[in-house]
Parts: sequence; structure tokens; C-alpha cells
Amino acid sequence: MNDVFAAIEQSPFSIWMREDFYAYFIALIFHSIGMALLIGGGVVISLRVMGLASQARLERFAGFFPAMWAGAGLAVVSGLALLAAYPAKALTNPVFGFKFASLIAASLIVRWMARRFFPMEAAGEPLPPWSRWLGALTLVLWLGGVVFGKLLLHTATVLMVS
Amino acid sequence: MDPIFNPDAIEQWAKDVGIFGVMNSQWGWPIAEIIHFFGICFLIGTVGMFDLRMMGLARGVSMKALHRLVPFGVAGYLLCATTGFMFIVSAPGQYLYNPAIQTKLSLMALAGINMAVFYLTTSRAISALEPEEPAPMRARLIGFISLACWLGVITAGRLVTFYRPPEFWCLWCAPA
Repeated sequence: MNDVFAAIEQSPFSIWMREDFYAYFIALIFHSIGMALLIGGGVVISLRVMGLASQARLERFAGFFPAMWAGAGLAVVSGLALLAAYPAKALTNPVFGFKFASLIAASLIVRWMARRFFPMEAAGEPLPPWSRWLGALTLVLWLGGVVFGKLLLHTATVLMVS
Repeated sequence: MDPIFNPDAIEQWAKDVGIFGVMNSQWGWPIAEIIHFFGICFLIGTVGMFDLRMMGLARGVSMKALHRLVPFGVAGYLLCATTGFMFIVSAPGQYLYNPAIQTKLSLMALAGINMAVFYLTTSRAISALEPEEPAPMRARLIGFISLACWLGVITAGRLVTFYRPPEFWCLWCAPA
């Protein structure tokens, strides 16, 4: 596996990401803004499913999905660029997997809630009592993505290039 | 020579009250960073989404109801302010002269003024709107300025480590 990491790290794009004066910082900025839009949208939907701001129609929160999609797109593209710069540092760290697991699980639950809960609310049906717990779980998963993302820097043990 | 701030005295104060020790413990700085980002998530998740709603996104979501989530954004702001203060007093030389921090604080002040304008001129009209009604142009502009400020704050925060050494950027310091 180290051979693969080494090959990526010696690619022109990876070297440019590490050595260009602006490239890494620009990718970091886009990653942060993308994550803020994705998780921000996730937070507001989680709070609403938990029963807060209940006068607002839940199904209309789908209107925030374009902002979340834009954020996810920014986060993925910039994340791939950051990953290309230091693949060994990230991919040898289990915390990187925890970050992805948290964010993907949160995204899948939001998708499921949009298919199940949003039509129920639109039809005037009450949500099941456990929906609040699902909303809270989603909030924890979104914030878990933040925790693992920040811990990446402090838990990496393998650095093949500097 | 800085005629305004004394970074050594600020750091000594942080040591005296214990903040420096907490921040320089093994997990102090990472935990403060995590709490700082929690604050940003709640800020963008409530105030930022309210801004997007005023700008025309998610038509049909009652702005009056959505505004009830803003206290979570205020709590997020307080988390950010508290941890941000802890960062600065624990390494004042790295932050006080840093153009990224100066920009960040300026954008926060601008967001505060923008918020005051919203509550003084527009919030009543917004509360009276039906969920399907679009926000007036003034509210859209306020929402855009607010969101731009907060995304700018995130951008400036990421650029803190870009400016090294920070002392080089002190505009009010006399040459040593």
C-alpha cells in the first residue's frame, strides 16, 4: 500500500498541492465552507425533526438540500485535493474512516427521513415518537464528522512527505 | 515595538488564570478547536440557514418559526467567542498581529452591525410574512451580507496559519 501512496505523492498534482504557495490553503478554505454548508443544513433539519421550530413545515426543509448538495460537492472535490497532497497521512489513520462513516451515515439518514418523514408531515400525519431520537442521532453524527475531522491533524502517525 | 498590546503580559495573565495550562495540555488545543467548530456548525446551521431562507431558498419554511432556532446560533457564537479568546490569550503573538484574525474580527463586527440593522428595521416585517411570501429586497440583502460575513469569517480563520511570522504584519508597531 505504501507504494501506492508514494506513487500518488510523487504525482505532479500532489507535489503542486504541497508546494504551491496558495493551493493547499485554497483547498482548505473550500473544504471548510463546503462542510459548513453541508453540516449547517444537516443541523437545521436535525433540530426540526427533534421537534424544535415545529410550526415550520418539515417537508419544505427540502429547499435547503441544494445548499447541502453544493456544500457536499465543494467538500468532496477539495477533500480529494487535500487527500492527494498527503494520502499516507490520511489513509493510514483510522480516524479518517470514522469521519467518513459519521458523515455518510448522517447523509443516508437525512435521505431516509426525506423519503419517509417529509411526506408524512405533508399529509398531516404525526411523526412517530422515535423520530426525535433519530433527529438527535443525526445531529450527533454530523457533529461526529467535525470531531473526527479536527482530530485527524492530531492523530496522524504516518508522514511520508513533508 | 507595540505601543498598544503587550503579548508577554497577556500570555502571563493566561498562565496565571490557568487558561494557558489547559490549552497546552495534551488534548486542550484540539478539544478547544472541536468546540470552536461545533459553534460554527450551529451558527451556520441556524443563522446561516435563516439567511438563506431570507435570500429565497426553502420557500414555504416559515421565517418566524425558523427564527426560533436562532438562540442555537447565539449559543454557537458564544462557544466560538470563548474558545477564540482562549486561543488568542494562549498564543497572543501568533494572533494579535495576524491579518487573518484582524479580518476575521472585522467581519464579525460587520455581521454584528448587519444583525442590528436587521432587528431595528426588518425583523417585524419578516415575522409578519406568510411562509410562501418572499422576503423584501432589504431582507434579502441583509441575509446575503450576513452569510457572506460568516463564510468570510470561516475563510479568515483558515488563513491564520498562512501569515507567518505574524509580527511582520503588525501595522501599528514601530520597527525594532
